[in-house]
Amino acid sequence: MIAPNMGTKQTSIPSSTADALFPKVRQRVLAVLFGAPDRSFYTNEVIGLAQSGAGAVQRELADLAGAGLLTVRRQGNQKHFQANQASPVFAELRGLVLKTMGLADVLRAALAPLAPQIQRAFVFGSLAKQQDTAASDVDLLVVSDTLGYGDVFGALEGASQALGRTINPALYTTADFRARLQGDNAFINRVMQQPKIWLIGQEESPQHEPAQPT
Amino acid sequence: MSPPNPLENLSRPGGSLKPEPPDAAEIAGLLRTGRARLADAGNASLALESRFDLAYNAAHALCLAALRTRGYRAANRFIVFQVLPHTLGLGPEVWRVLDLCHNKRNLGEYEGLLEVDERLVKDLLVATQQVADALSAV
Repeated sequence: MIAPNMGTKQTSIPSSTADALFPKVRQRVLAVLFGAPDRSFYTNEVIGLAQSGAGAVQRELADLAGAGLLTVRRQGNQKHFQANQASPVFAELRGLVLKTMGLADVLRAALAPLAPQIQRAFVFGSLAKQQDTAASDVDLLVVSDTLGYGDVFGALEGASQALGRTINPALYTTADFRARLQGDNAFINRVMQQPKIWLIGQEESPQHEPAQPT
Repeated sequence: MSPPNPLENLSRPGGSLKPEPPDAAEIAGLLRTGRARLADAGNASLALESRFDLAYNAAHALCLAALRTRGYRAANRFIVFQVLPHTLGLGPEVWRVLDLCHNKRNLGEYEGLLEVDERLVKDLLVATQQVADALSAV
């Protein structure tokens, strides 16, 4: 089934700066490739990470590679794409990606080594609400039974520098998080009602149920 | 010309640090009170809030001792945590935790909103112990 994109999925920050510069699919493709310029991605991987249509992603990849912004390498019958560090605009484009559309990917990559220990993680606050300014911090909620603040701060430092923003993680155990959700914790309830950018896990009771095929 | 070190930068007029030669008696006093409170903060029979206070104040005393050893005095409390990479070479896994605890402490002291849990106190103790260990190694 092909699920139409109704604009309810938030995979990256739909910031107005990014929207003014690039169409949606290109933003997502750029975010994937320039968010992690040290590695290459095969086509299906980019399609999955960009959460966009296969045809649209393939067109973007072809265009970007054609312009020399990506390098293409054949490995067996797979095509591997990678941000082209030799491109004269590599540094500028990467900076643009990190500061605008790549935030979620930068954070996801930073948390990746800890991911097995994280039940859920999402960005909330001004960035998720698209009310961010250049000085806005990144508010991050992490639910984990095993991680400590030291682990999380250590993992996020590189991302914090790449994004040029302070990251404020709030850490909860699963039990603690549930207790606060069910109890009447003002902070958690407020956070849960706000827009979020999910990094790990997803909303438990989505407001928009996916359409069932009829 | 070599670039000025970050501590020097922070001690310019209007900055958060002031140059002041180290005083052995002062540093010894800070180390003593810091280590004593850190030891007591590990006492599980105390209330969590009390353990947090003890550990936080231990961290502050120890971080200040490190700064005084380098020949500076702090104009505010939080700067002693933020300069740990320059005073003791400690990374974000230590100083960011202490910085977070500083903000929690302020919320508790000034707005009556002390939200501490077992994990935060445990992380604070680990971070403070790393400061104590780094000081011992100097």
